[in-house]
Amino acid sequence: MNNTIEKLIKIAGEGAVQFSEDAILPHIGNRNFETPMRPMAIVRPQSGEQVEAIVNYAKENGVPLVPVSSGGPHYSSSSAPSVPGAVIVDLSGMKKIISINRRFCMAVIEPGVTYGQLQKALADEGLTISVPLAPKINKSVIASLLEVQPRLNSVYQWNYIDPLRCMEVTWGDGNRMYTGEAGGGVRDLNKQQAQGKWQINGAGPMMLDFCRLLTGSQGTMGIVTWASVKCEQLPQIHNIHTVESPSIKKLCDFTFEVLRWRFSDELMIMNAAYLSTVLAEDVISKEKIRKQLNDWQAIVGIAGKEMLPELRVKQLESDISDIAKKLGLNLSPQRKEIEGADVLGRITSACVGTHWRESYSEEFAQIFFVTTISKTEFFVNAMNELAKNAGYPVKEIGVYIQPQHAGTSCHCEFLLPYHADNLAQVRELFFKASAIFSEMGAYFARPYGIWAKLQFEKDPLAAKHLKTVKKIFDPKMIMNPRKLSTATVEVAK
Amino acid sequence: MALVREIYKEFEEIVGIGNISEEPVVLETYRCVAAQSSAHYGPYDQRTPTPQAVLLPGSTEEVQKIVLLCNKHGIHFKASTTFWSAQGYIGSDNAIQLDMRRMNKIEVDAKNQLAIIEPYAIAAAIQAETMKHGMTCNIQGAGGSTSTLASTAGWQGPGPSSIFTGTNYDNMLSAEWVLPNGEILRTGSAGSGDGWFCGEGPGPSLRAIVRGVAGTAGDMGVCTKLAIKLSPWPGPTYLPSTGAPPSYKADLYENFKYYTLCFPTWEAWAEAVRMIHENRIIYIGHRQFNMFGCDMKGAMVNILSDPNKQLCDLPDLLEDEEIKKQTESMRIDVQVVIAGMTMLDMDYKEKALDEVLRMVGGWKNEMMLKPDIANWALLYLIRMGRKNLNYVYCGAYEGHFGLSRGNYFYSASLVEEASAIKREWEIKHNHMAAVGGNSSMGGLGGVGGGGGVSWEFFAHFDAHDKESIKGVCEYFNKTNQWMAQKGLGGCMGKLNESSRRPDGYNRSQEEFNKTFASTPQPEVFVYQWMVKDAFNPKKLSGSYYKTLDPKAFVEGSGAASRGVFI
Amino acid sequence: MKEKTLADYKAMQERCCNCSYCKWIPLDKIKSNRFAYNCPANAYFKFNTYSARGRFQAGLAVANEELDYTEGMTQMVHSCLSCGACDVACKISRYNLEPLEHNIALKADVIEKGHTILAQKVMLNTLATEGTLIPNMKKADRAVWSEGLGFKDLAKEKAEVLFFPGCKYGYDKTLKETLRTTVSLLLNMEADLGVLGESEMCCGGRAWQMGFEKEFSKTADINISKIQKTGAKIIVTPCADCYHALKRLYAERGLTMEVLHVVEYIDRKVKEGRVTFTKPVNMTVTYHDPCHLGRQGAPFVPWNGTEKKIFNQIHTWEPRRPRNNGANGIYDAPRNILEAIPGIRLVEMERIREYSWCCGAGGGCGQSMPAYAEWVAGDRVAEAKSTATDALVTACPWCNGMLSKAVGKDGETMPVYDLLELVARAL
Repeated sequence: MNNTIEKLIKIAGEGAVQFSEDAILPHIGNRNFETPMRPMAIVRPQSGEQVEAIVNYAKENGVPLVPVSSGGPHYSSSSAPSVPGAVIVDLSGMKKIISINRRFCMAVIEPGVTYGQLQKALADEGLTISVPLAPKINKSVIASLLEVQPRLNSVYQWNYIDPLRCMEVTWGDGNRMYTGEAGGGVRDLNKQQAQGKWQINGAGPMMLDFCRLLTGSQGTMGIVTWASVKCEQLPQIHNIHTVESPSIKKLCDFTFEVLRWRFSDELMIMNAAYLSTVLAEDVISKEKIRKQLNDWQAIVGIAGKEMLPELRVKQLESDISDIAKKLGLNLSPQRKEIEGADVLGRITSACVGTHWRESYSEEFAQIFFVTTISKTEFFVNAMNELAKNAGYPVKEIGVYIQPQHAGTSCHCEFLLPYHADNLAQVRELFFKASAIFSEMGAYFARPYGIWAKLQFEKDPLAAKHLKTVKKIFDPKMIMNPRKLSTATVEVAK
Repeated sequence: MALVREIYKEFEEIVGIGNISEEPVVLETYRCVAAQSSAHYGPYDQRTPTPQAVLLPGSTEEVQKIVLLCNKHGIHFKASTTFWSAQGYIGSDNAIQLDMRRMNKIEVDAKNQLAIIEPYAIAAAIQAETMKHGMTCNIQGAGGSTSTLASTAGWQGPGPSSIFTGTNYDNMLSAEWVLPNGEILRTGSAGSGDGWFCGEGPGPSLRAIVRGVAGTAGDMGVCTKLAIKLSPWPGPTYLPSTGAPPSYKADLYENFKYYTLCFPTWEAWAEAVRMIHENRIIYIGHRQFNMFGCDMKGAMVNILSDPNKQLCDLPDLLEDEEIKKQTESMRIDVQVVIAGMTMLDMDYKEKALDEVLRMVGGWKNEMMLKPDIANWALLYLIRMGRKNLNYVYCGAYEGHFGLSRGNYFYSASLVEEASAIKREWEIKHNHMAAVGGNSSMGGLGGVGGGGGVSWEFFAHFDAHDKESIKGVCEYFNKTNQWMAQKGLGGCMGKLNESSRRPDGYNRSQEEFNKTFASTPQPEVFVYQWMVKDAFNPKKLSGSYYKTLDPKAFVEGSGAASRGVFI
Repeated sequence: MKEKTLADYKAMQERCCNCSYCKWIPLDKIKSNRFAYNCPANAYFKFNTYSARGRFQAGLAVANEELDYTEGMTQMVHSCLSCGACDVACKISRYNLEPLEHNIALKADVIEKGHTILAQKVMLNTLATEGTLIPNMKKADRAVWSEGLGFKDLAKEKAEVLFFPGCKYGYDKTLKETLRTTVSLLLNMEADLGVLGESEMCCGGRAWQMGFEKEFSKTADINISKIQKTGAKIIVTPCADCYHALKRLYAERGLTMEVLHVVEYIDRKVKEGRVTFTKPVNMTVTYHDPCHLGRQGAPFVPWNGTEKKIFNQIHTWEPRRPRNNGANGIYDAPRNILEAIPGIRLVEMERIREYSWCCGAGGGCGQSMPAYAEWVAGDRVAEAKSTATDALVTACPWCNGMLSKAVGKDGETMPVYDLLELVARAL
């Protein structure tokens, strides 16, 4: 047992520190073809105070820290160390829902709180929270929000960080503070709430937007130990519709028109490969579902909430249907013949039981970036062309487009299933496609793995300025070193 | 003090003859008179310092060259656009003023629902350009004559339509800055030339250093261009209006309706606003006309919507029994506009609004339904083209109290108490217009999706009357104390005073250290110090970006048990 | 009548709120970024100093003896076209400021202190010696244009209508035929028409616009005396500047006669059925509102009162003070005529009626600052061209002159007509 482990035990308690092979193995990532690195230990703090102490120790002793909040298995490369000997700060045990305020639709939660847990608690209050596509049951809400995963009902998303608001953070320099509106008051959540302050405004405080240094940072700036999140009314009526087309362009036009008038709740485009993958329980059912699907489908959620829900649903269905008709498309209620597929439940709720990614023997490579809705078709065509040239079956490529993500961006995602026997082929395709997309103007706003290098090479000034900021908040460069490529490259010591 | 000739020549070579001036009358007109355009600064009977020169840059490249030259010679600079408030003006003797008026382009990308704008593009013009494409923009509370870029990058940016369009904080996409050290920063996707659609990342958002809950009021360089997110406009390709000046009226279709909603109690008001907000019923929501005062608003609306009436008609109108009745009916009110994207959508929104009123016992004010008044109010709220009605009574006003604090239930619960304080002052003194005490106004969409309000009270005073100026200042001392007692922070009327001294000059670091070391979470100000130190090492700016020297943090009582920065 | 000094405007100078509305057309009316500006001086010289707000602030510094006039400041003061666009925009929300009045008071002050532009001196000399503000023109040539038209000479006989052509129409040879046609038209309408003939002189309105109060007063008083003596019932003029001087400035000094712009007179005749347009004029036209016929064309309403504060600090006037905010200018008469002419299709520019853009001639700037004035005219021509119209029509010889000069500068010409030319074609 080395000094670091001893110190971690002193801070968090004996049961909170693990360094056995079994414990460490799940954290050695091989995610999107990144080189796996072996962490030294896993520490599971239970409070902001413990996190603060851990960071201060790490700062003094140059110990790399990698924060993780979701339960395994881990798909995101941000939670895998990029340097050897790191300590995983596993926050998944901090599972308290600190408060839910129905009147303001706000909840304050710890990082270990999962979508499954939060959705259930919110439902009891008549609330819910927007979700990314089919989250796993143990996906940390805070991690998902910090990663800025696209939300399905982005029409409710006012800006890039929504529905994330205020946070408690310990920066890489060891200072713990609150962000947003909460940062302007006493550093005591209970006292703030007793004063009627519900951590609603996530901006600032003052003229520095602390929350935005944490979103998309892949754990390189600090560790969040609670966050307030904006919730929504639980729909009283919630229907799902599809609009099918052999043409992605038509569906892009359709979603543009729907969003333009702020209609719909959930709204996304998927091809048959992606949707069937998400809906199915296994490979056999996937094929069965897939055969029933058109090449492309827009999925349209329509919800009636507190105020005249029936009337609202009727109006939205009629107006969205009119938009579809004008484009020669048809809005239809969820097709019953998609056997065994509860589209609404599957995509909007945390997956109960096995997550779809675990249903298959295959692995999945993912390429995603943001662009504009008007450009998505070109990226899809390019992907198909690249796959053809690489000998990869085009029909296996899953495509998911979230037409409005974080304001005006459009999330464009490709899913490439592979087995051990075509790993090398897919690896090459992944690298090549990423590079070509980057050249085509794909913006890797969430630059995981090799995308960071691609993106920062296009924008060296951003890398330079980011390095300056990183030095302020993490002067010893202990927070998830080597992530974000050039922006944090000076770390490895 | 004039610029050294060689330096003046260098500036002139950058911007060209005709775009720089040190003519005394030009310099005089770039001084802020704190009693006239206070915007939460004072009011004081003072002017800001005289700039050494005024420059009109025409491009980002010119701005960068100016900033580099300022760094070379240690000259302070401040860029401003429409000069609406004290924040845009310099605060030291060794400073030049940048007037960004030559940079005024607006480029609309309708397909991707965004517009790329330059500093001197005013909100009314942006809205006009976007309406051509079936879009509109959030018009900040300062109104249609002010720069949307300045509000978005440099200040806060909520407005009457923010409940639907989002605030300028929400809508800020990629932006281009000349940082105080002369380096260029392009936030988000524009940095890599991928387009202007995303203002964030890659990775953490560098936007964080130039814009928090508010922008840095010109203290972190010059924003030269940015993209904003647009919202739907279900009307014609321009804003049609009719009538004689000054009482123009909107001439829109049936899918636009204006209402003044009224409530029996503040609790009912807040509950209704909650429902309206969460159910996304309205297009614009603003407590607007109460800015004239709760006793006056009925009469004032009659004056302003009738081209033949004037302020001298006030006394007679206030005696009119019908107007008295209507004014009483809208004591606890809010102005709303609903807009149907389709007629079915309109039908839903009309019914939903009626349902909200039914549930809380509210009503629509009858007088405000009269077409002449309703269409006048509709135009007012859509274009925000009459923001200078703030000054209609006496030529000057100042916002105060500022009962925001994130939620409307809390704000609403304090309105009557605050109103009583103001009413008492109106009766005891003659410093400000006596309008019934309650002059609370503001929007419902202070926090896009979260239900905040951005409220203030108006005190109307006479900038030509020194006693009036002085008296209102004294009144703000009282409101400031009340705010502190309620745990509400400082009074809005004194907001700028923490950044700029009453004599118009910048605050010093020593003053900041004294103030911020004992704040509940002084780390905030230390990090701002560090960011400023990194990007503005020569401190060539004003003092709106509030900082706490790390050394003072260590010494400060609030920080004793915390981590350290040095 | 007591002439005000700059010191009398201190309250306004201090009550200007720096809202910048004086730089834009009324915001409710903005249809594009390109044509949103209203103040030519501010748009051309760019610094805020040149706006009405800047002038209030500068005026205050002068009144407080904090600023001395320099050459640059003199140029700034005189760059105001006196077009009154700022005045309309300001009064959309303000009831206690008079920006136009103050702009002219500032000019009067700078002149009082001996600072003028060279070209202005030449103009004023010509006024003193030849009775016109147009340099190089001679008193003796004033009535040449009317030879052979069979007018009554009102110095010798009586007529119902006094026709007052003004200097620009009277001397400009390029406009001579238009003027003669106009008079023929009026005579055909059975107008009982007379002129002052050789005793006619400049209305002086342009001197007033430039701030030469004394010179204006002297000219006006001479003219009023002559006009009153004629016993005519109506004065008709084809010039917007003359119209403004006669209708508003002379009325303030005691002229009691009805004053009509010729477009009002013709519109009246059309409405009475005395005139019918029979010949089609097939073209699309856009109409430029002259400042002094449009927003400054409202009748003079006398007022003699003081400020009164009510409810502690609310400023009002006692008795009610008339508001000259552009609401009652002459906008419909010219449009009525255009619409009555068969074949003409009227399309509007973005800046029209009370928020029209000036042609550049105002405030004497056409002569005193020609490059600037031509730029102003060019901006109007660009606006006209943006409407895809065949021709630009106006109802003032000064506007006509400025616009005609600017119209071909971008290589694409466009006819500029006085409305009367189209009327002549249609009859």
